[in-house]
Amino acid sequence: MDVSTVDIKRSAGKLFSFLLPGGGIPYYKGGGPSAEPSLLALLALSVSGAPPEQTKRLLTWVTKLQNSDGSIAINPAHRDQGLWLTALSAVVFHHFGLKDARDRALGFVVSLKSVTIPNDPRLRQNNLLTGWPWVPGTFGWVEPTAWALVALNVSGLGGHPRAVEGRAFLLDREIPSGGWNYGNPGLNDRELLPFWDTTGLALIALHGQTDVDRVRASLDLLDRNQEEIDSPCGLAWTAMGLETYGKDASRLKKRLFSLMNSLPEDTFNAAHLAVGLIALSGKKVFVS
Amino acid sequence: MKRRDFLKGTVVLANATAFGNLARGGQLTPAPCPVTLLPMPDYGRDMEKEIAAVMSGDGLVLKGKKVLLKPNFVEAHPERPINTHPAIIAHVAHACLRLGAAEVIVGEASGHRRDPWFSVLNPKLRSILDKRVRCLDLNYGDVVVVANRGGLTGLPAFYMARPVAEADVMISLPKMKTHHWAGVTLCLKNLFGVLPGIYYGWPKNLLHFRGIERSILDLARTVKVHYNIIDGVVGMEGDGPIMGKAKPVGVLILSPFSLAGDATAARIMGFDPRKVLYLAQAARFLPGLRTEDVTLRGENPKRFAGVFDCLDDFKKMRGGPFF
Repeated sequence: MDVSTVDIKRSAGKLFSFLLPGGGIPYYKGGGPSAEPSLLALLALSVSGAPPEQTKRLLTWVTKLQNSDGSIAINPAHRDQGLWLTALSAVVFHHFGLKDARDRALGFVVSLKSVTIPNDPRLRQNNLLTGWPWVPGTFGWVEPTAWALVALNVSGLGGHPRAVEGRAFLLDREIPSGGWNYGNPGLNDRELLPFWDTTGLALIALHGQTDVDRVRASLDLLDRNQEEIDSPCGLAWTAMGLETYGKDASRLKKRLFSLMNSLPEDTFNAAHLAVGLIALSGKKVFVS
Repeated sequence: MKRRDFLKGTVVLANATAFGNLARGGQLTPAPCPVTLLPMPDYGRDMEKEIAAVMSGDGLVLKGKKVLLKPNFVEAHPERPINTHPAIIAHVAHACLRLGAAEVIVGEASGHRRDPWFSVLNPKLRSILDKRVRCLDLNYGDVVVVANRGGLTGLPAFYMARPVAEADVMISLPKMKTHHWAGVTLCLKNLFGVLPGIYYGWPKNLLHFRGIERSILDLARTVKVHYNIIDGVVGMEGDGPIMGKAKPVGVLILSPFSLAGDATAARIMGFDPRKVLYLAQAARFLPGLRTEDVTLRGENPKRFAGVFDCLDDFKKMRGGPFF
């Protein structure tokens, strides 16, 4: 049994309660507004059926975060920080029909490149591949690279040369027995632990552009570990990763919903609450 | 960059004046620095009273203060002692309440994982903490821009998590581990976790690019730490800080002086702190590197001293016996 639309709308109300008078959403109650929870909340409220007038203030706040070069700032006070979030902003602008803002964001995403470094025999990976960094001028990592691919894919740019190399980067970082750590697949011939959130996101980022058999190990990893996953963020990304490939995630979503309704309010991370809502909705906003 | 190249560059720096003036940002106080060794054979023993007694005896005044405990959470692995053990965090938190702290916060910006479920927001940790203790995920949320008092990284300022900047007292709770870039990771390295990942990335990749040792030293000059308790009950040897093996030592190391705590822990691990380059450089502005700077209290260190296995590149940092 799936979580009902009524349940999802009720949870959306909880997310809406984070909205600050100035328009943005903080990670945790009592904090200042920030780009990531605000962007994810826009998607979550949208898929939960919130009317446009409810999201207007939030959308206006987010669009004002866009810098002249198309990048998105982490918050109004630090306009040169958190620029990796520009990819997520492109996804949001795409779904809200803000084509100009989306294209400017994509322009920045395409221009943002990770630094490459010489290969290291301890790391069985290709350090010469270019992905996307958390911070300009640093190395590429799984999550910012996956977000950039999601942005390019939903915008119809999955064939862009940066996307092609980005997919190669992600596949290079896949742990041989399945899943993704946050960066390297292993060290000194030993595999690192896979993370549920990065694995779900990476699978989504590769969807439609990569042979399913190539990522079968990661899909199987999520599938067979469904009962082991206990964090809201892990449950949400695992559910989305599995459903993107047509697999059943209904048990995960029931546990996710139950957890979202039982956590103490001071531990609620609005970004994770939003991701949870997107997962519960079953709407595939991160794939084209 | 390969480790050998990295270390080569660091040695050049260690021999140059690149680490700046002695007094800048320094906390030099008259030696000797007290360091207390408390035996704790396993995590089942309640150490709250002993910890409170030692902290109080070291002159740490907590009555009415807002205290931030900064454990070390990197990533969770079922078999590896990567993180500060929750029992230690609880004992210290409750010791702070016992000493009259008005507010106790456990805060951490975990280095590898974005999901705070695997660090301070884990229900298992929260379930053993007094309800008055708050847990804050420092990877997100508000920051205070603090001028970099070191200047070795070239970063003019740090975006420091606001709860760290606003705490009256900060207590660092690192894990005793080897580190595959820096040799050892203890109190000073633990300071990476006051910087939010949302600004610096995971694993604070900007700091890695600016130089891990330079970053440690800049943070050591910039962040005021009032007390340190190293979780050496079960440490990590070999390919630390995440891929190594458990090394039971059975000790808690307590000191108001970060470098004195680190130097003592390094000696217990079988490393000469004067050969751990960032520790040696920290002695330019922090007290406690040399044996004669330290007044050891509590249990005899011979009971805990051993040799931590380490990667070949770091074997030259070994020394001793020191006790």
